[in-house]
Amino acid sequence: MVAAAGLRVVRCGGSPLHGARAVFSADARLLLCTAGDFVKVYSAATEELVRLLRGHSGLVTGVGLNPHNCLQLYSCSLDGSIKLWDFTDGILIKTFTVGYKLLALYALDSCEDSVFVIIPKRGERDTFQLVSVKLTKTAGQDVEAKEFSVVLEGVDASPKCTAFGREGEYVASVKNFHLQVYFFKRKQLNRFSLRATNAKGGNNLFTCVACHPKEDCIATGHADGKIRLWRNFYHNKEYVFSTMHWHHDRVMDLSFSIEGTSLLSGGVEAVLVQWHNGSDCKKDFLPRLGSAIEYISVSSDGTLYCTLHTDNRITIINSNLRFSKSIQGLIRARDVKTGLVVDPRTKALVLNGEAGHLQFYCLQSDKQLYSLDIVQQEYIQQAGLNQTDLVKVAFSAQGKWLATVEEREEEPDLELHLKLWFFDEETQSFKLNTQISMPHDDHITAMCFRDMDELEDDSLILVTAGKDCLFKVWVILEDTDPEAQQSLSWSCDFVGSYHNYQATNCCFSEDGSLLAVSFEETVTVWDSSTWDLKCTFCHPPGKIRDICFGRLTCSKYLIGATDHGFLCCWNLLSCALEWSAHLNVVILQPDPLSEHIAAVSWLSKESSLFVFKPNEPRPICIQRNLCQEKIQCAAFVPRDVPETVGSEKYVWLRRSQLYLLTDAQELMTFSTKSPEERLTVSSKQLAVEESLPVTPFSLLLGKHRHQQSQGDTDLTKVVRNHHEQDSPAVKELLHTPAHVLPSASFLCPIFINSLLISKEKKSAEEVADEVEMESEEAEEDSDEEKDVTEMEQENTKSMDLLGEITCKLSKAEEKELRKVRKMDYSWISAF
Amino acid sequence: MAAAAAACGGEAAARPPLAFSPCDRRLLAVSGSDGRLRVWEAAGSRLRHEYVPSAHLSAACTCLAWAPPGGRPPPDKDGPQRKKRKSEAAEADKQLDILAIGTAVGSILLYSTVKGELQSKLDGGHDNRINCVRWHQDNYCLYSCSEDKHIVEWNTQTCKVKCKWKGDNSSVSSLCISPDGKMLLSAGRTIKLWDLETKEVYRHFTGHATSVSSLMFTTVKPMNENKSFDGITGLYFLSGAIHDRLLSVWQIRSDRKEKNAVMSFTVTDEPTFIDLTVSEVKEEPVKLAVVCRDGQLHLFEHILNGYCKKPLTSNCTIQIATPGNDGDSTPKPVPILAAAFCTDKQSLLLVYGNTLQPIIEKVSLNTSESHICLIRDVQKVLALKTEVAVTKVKTPVVNSDTKVLVPGIPGHSAAVKTPSSGKEKNKSKRKPGEPEDSIEERLGALDIDVSKVKTPGGLPQTDSFAVLLVQGLESNDSDILNKVLNTRKETLIKNTVARMPIHAVIPLLHELTKRLQGNPYSASQMVRWLKSVFTLHASYLSTLPDLIPQLGMLYQLMESRVKTLQKLSRLHGRLFLLVTQVAASETVQDVTEVNQTAKLVYEDESSEEEGSDDEMIADKDSDENWDEDEEKEEQSDEQDMTVEKEINGDSDLEPENESEEE
Repeated sequence: MVAAAGLRVVRCGGSPLHGARAVFSADARLLLCTAGDFVKVYSAATEELVRLLRGHSGLVTGVGLNPHNCLQLYSCSLDGSIKLWDFTDGILIKTFTVGYKLLALYALDSCEDSVFVIIPKRGERDTFQLVSVKLTKTAGQDVEAKEFSVVLEGVDASPKCTAFGREGEYVASVKNFHLQVYFFKRKQLNRFSLRATNAKGGNNLFTCVACHPKEDCIATGHADGKIRLWRNFYHNKEYVFSTMHWHHDRVMDLSFSIEGTSLLSGGVEAVLVQWHNGSDCKKDFLPRLGSAIEYISVSSDGTLYCTLHTDNRITIINSNLRFSKSIQGLIRARDVKTGLVVDPRTKALVLNGEAGHLQFYCLQSDKQLYSLDIVQQEYIQQAGLNQTDLVKVAFSAQGKWLATVEEREEEPDLELHLKLWFFDEETQSFKLNTQISMPHDDHITAMCFRDMDELEDDSLILVTAGKDCLFKVWVILEDTDPEAQQSLSWSCDFVGSYHNYQATNCCFSEDGSLLAVSFEETVTVWDSSTWDLKCTFCHPPGKIRDICFGRLTCSKYLIGATDHGFLCCWNLLSCALEWSAHLNVVILQPDPLSEHIAAVSWLSKESSLFVFKPNEPRPICIQRNLCQEKIQCAAFVPRDVPETVGSEKYVWLRRSQLYLLTDAQELMTFSTKSPEERLTVSSKQLAVEESLPVTPFSLLLGKHRHQQSQGDTDLTKVVRNHHEQDSPAVKELLHTPAHVLPSASFLCPIFINSLLISKEKKSAEEVADEVEMESEEAEEDSDEEKDVTEMEQENTKSMDLLGEITCKLSKAEEKELRKVRKMDYSWISAF
Repeated sequence: MAAAAAACGGEAAARPPLAFSPCDRRLLAVSGSDGRLRVWEAAGSRLRHEYVPSAHLSAACTCLAWAPPGGRPPPDKDGPQRKKRKSEAAEADKQLDILAIGTAVGSILLYSTVKGELQSKLDGGHDNRINCVRWHQDNYCLYSCSEDKHIVEWNTQTCKVKCKWKGDNSSVSSLCISPDGKMLLSAGRTIKLWDLETKEVYRHFTGHATSVSSLMFTTVKPMNENKSFDGITGLYFLSGAIHDRLLSVWQIRSDRKEKNAVMSFTVTDEPTFIDLTVSEVKEEPVKLAVVCRDGQLHLFEHILNGYCKKPLTSNCTIQIATPGNDGDSTPKPVPILAAAFCTDKQSLLLVYGNTLQPIIEKVSLNTSESHICLIRDVQKVLALKTEVAVTKVKTPVVNSDTKVLVPGIPGHSAAVKTPSSGKEKNKSKRKPGEPEDSIEERLGALDIDVSKVKTPGGLPQTDSFAVLLVQGLESNDSDILNKVLNTRKETLIKNTVARMPIHAVIPLLHELTKRLQGNPYSASQMVRWLKSVFTLHASYLSTLPDLIPQLGMLYQLMESRVKTLQKLSRLHGRLFLLVTQVAASETVQDVTEVNQTAKLVYEDESSEEEGSDDEMIADKDSDENWDEDEEKEEQSDEQDMTVEKEINGDSDLEPENESEEE
């Protein structure tokens, strides 16, 4: 049914979210942030992805709301274009081609039709300039924007290092040890410099800059954690600055609150600091935000703050510094040493997360399920400190056991712990069963469980291979000691070695009867019941990089990849080489549900994928040039329901889905479907028209605002307009000379009548009240309010539906409208 | 393809309405008794978000339904093609968004779970409590039925009533749309099948005494393929009613003879939540999960093929209880709130606990057992969650009963087995001695030795320690052993070890090993003993054929303990050996003197013995000889060993053991 469409590489997670400052929409409901080549629109209330704006072909480096239309967004990218989006509907409105790499974008209220961008200076490397680009209003989707003027030379490439001051009067930019301020009106450039180090040895390097929104004040952050507030910087000499110091390391970003009363700062400590009134003594903290803060942004109504973190996490914070929401996709780990592992229980992808944690990443929802604190040590943020980190993870077939290896390397010592966790169904959490310190004397290179579904605990076997030239076999033993509190624990059953070579890989055959352990150049195959060495294979001179057994019908084959660029397939029955191919394989990944094996090769800056069955040397599917980056690890994730795949070529995608993680920690997968079918969010939503009834509260409060802001069919507006100017009654009343007017007593009821709303419905006493009123203006106002309160009463009395109230109201109003229109003003013409 | 999720709102529902998201069952919407709507993630049972309708107290939520994910044009194709499309929709990652909420006052709210805000409000259709809402799977029509006897078809795009008709003479309590989307089942007390185009009754089904609370189609196409399929004839559907412990299955037949239910399933209490897997193949059984008011879950597996008189009982019953082992409580049942089949039809999502904070767990199906009781510590599961956490960190349980293996503890490592012969030789050299050669030589001496061991009874002063030690080792009396082994005097230890019978050496070593693994303080004490045992009895040890298994653990222990400052400890060991040898060669006379005294003691002992025969004297002689022999051999052995060591560069027992003292 699916046409034999080509295989497409789909990026499905982990794109860096911290390319630029995030932006809140005007009503603070949506959060817009860059994510790789896309702009993501999140709902600030639910953490859900609402829209994905795709169109850029390079990394998006800046976003900014169109100051003249708050429903539009500018985005700039390394592909040299500025795009204008309607982000609520996800529509690309315009593309302005600039032609330079754009590194930052600033859209200002004061500039009518231009935005400021940072571009590299032509002909000079690593020199950047701030320019203003004129965005012409010509019609058409694609517009050239070649008209630009240089504002500042020699600015830093980072968007954090340039900021625009109050009402766009000046621009401040920092680079190295200099702060330069350019005043647009006076065309004056002031430069201020600091010495590289101060007396106390602090580093005065500027890291970021922010401008006060109301006053002439510039805040700068420094590499030693100081924040300086600069004032009176019109004068080259008589400027002053005050210093505030809390951060112990580099200030990563600064941001003023909307009114400028407080300043927010963040750094590697993962603490958001709020400084009040620019003083050092009064500050509030929001600690434990998880990881270093990269950017801070503030919503335009001041209710929400947003911090972007270096590990791709977005935190939304209330203005009273209460944590509100956190958007976490694939957390960026410093190094994915564990590889990609699939948790059989939750079908989540498991890999390194925060330091010492395992993250469980849900592929369907692109969200972190949870993060499991394995190391359980406080993370201390300090440069040069070696932290304990996870290096190996393995799950048993049913997900009942989890084995983790953590190591901490402090030259020349190595700290290693192998932990075996048992999933306790009662409490629905993992429970530590056995902790083994220094299981090997050197780094552990591989670890695997014997994957046997049908077998019970006692046949569960874990194998670890280490650089200490040993591989160890761990088994579960029933504890005979009556004092022991738990009956089952793990212990070493067998230690094997081969010619004192380092053990590099290990894996079990599908039925669990054979264990293959590679020792540098040789693959040894062991009988898993007697631990006898059965046979050895090698393909000199290459060292074995990866091995795996074939599955199902191909279980008699053993596949190995050598670092001399050979892929070998050995037959276990004949103990002979079946075939070999010249291929620089970096990853060998067997599909657990089929015979297929995926091999990812890396050759001259491009990764390619080969899918083959071990029984034939010809690959089933070749996908060249997946990406420019090196693929770090891969995993087959079983599908819940087998997919219908049309082409024979993509049969390997039927039972499981292949996920690849690149060096840049972007997750990729393959799809045979056309992009339209894959579209997750945009345009395919159920288009439900927003039709919300007015709540009693909004009736009370919102009505006045409504009157002022919106015209159209709103009745009250009509009434007001009516008596102000448009109404013939009022017009005639005002324009008719006083001496020809009839007596006031004659005019008054007519005039009042023309102002009244739904007179018929009111009780007699209310009318009487109205008549008594003297001031016409006051009367009108109070009348309206009464109207509303009356509605309220009705509401509470009858417990009617809200919608019905509005219905009634509108009916009554319509009647009134008609009545007003029919009003007889003939008396005027009579004169 | 799994059926659409069921929300069994039923009137007077003690259980609040809840609904699983269609297709992949990733989300669960629950309207709690406090009127708040909460959306939970099935994986990890985490609260996604919470919504409080503005009129949640006056207009309580009565039923929930998720809109089908993704949008597509209205269908104009028939059965099989449509089926394919449906399975494809399950694959694509369509975002779930709209949730329809029926209220007690007759309005329906459409809530966007992505934006977290109310999208629209459908008003003017009903003037009484909504009993059931159902989305049409293809064209985004919404059907609702109410206490006011009417069924309303809504256009959700414009939020207007498309059609409204009287559904029953009493209240309409449940709705279900046929798999092809052209028919609608409604139920009050009788079940009616409506043609959606003409809004006319197509069939009647009567049989329930009380009002029907749930309706569901169980098949998508008829089982006998030989007849032409018009989209509805031949299909089975399921109905459950309040206060009724029987679930009925009906068949829509062409001959209009459906007076009675085709078959029925019996459960223990009124069904509150039903989910089933729709069988697409004839041979595939329909799997049915029924949650009852009493909190039990019943699983049925049945191939639907026509009439069955006897009510069917469940294949498997699942209950959940607290462990109740923490002293205070007996196990308490935990009510199951809902259950849904996962897309693979092999596992079940169970929702249990409190409606305010339900726990969602995936359980793989195993219907071989007829009754399963899952023990879940609800308190602890809930305690793992924090209210609003910045990060989603879960801390796994680490308690004191964890087994900790450090190097040297048994189980940390096993003897290295190497396949190559060269390595094997290497390893055999690691332990001193060639048992095959020496065993014959020693045999006679050993015999004598054994006989000698029996004799010592109550020996005076210095020897009494050796005797005590032997007695302690034999009786495994920890008091005696403590008394002996806690001695600090170097000479006393040496003498005791020298005088202890040979056969007690191995038990002593075992005892020492056990103590070495324990308290580090006592371990340092044991090291002195070990040192003297190895210096004095190395020759005997080297004769043992099973030395490697006997002392392997001790060897590993020492090996791991001396890993720090390895070179230094080796040097120290060698120097020590050298010094002792030099000292030994200088004090040969001394040693003989010691033997002399021993002889004297022996005479004392013999004088104490009643039957001192000639035999004994002869024994004595041989004993003396033996002693001297041993002394000599020991020296030579030691020399051998040092040579060996220097050749191999291999670490040995004594030096390392020595170094440990530092």
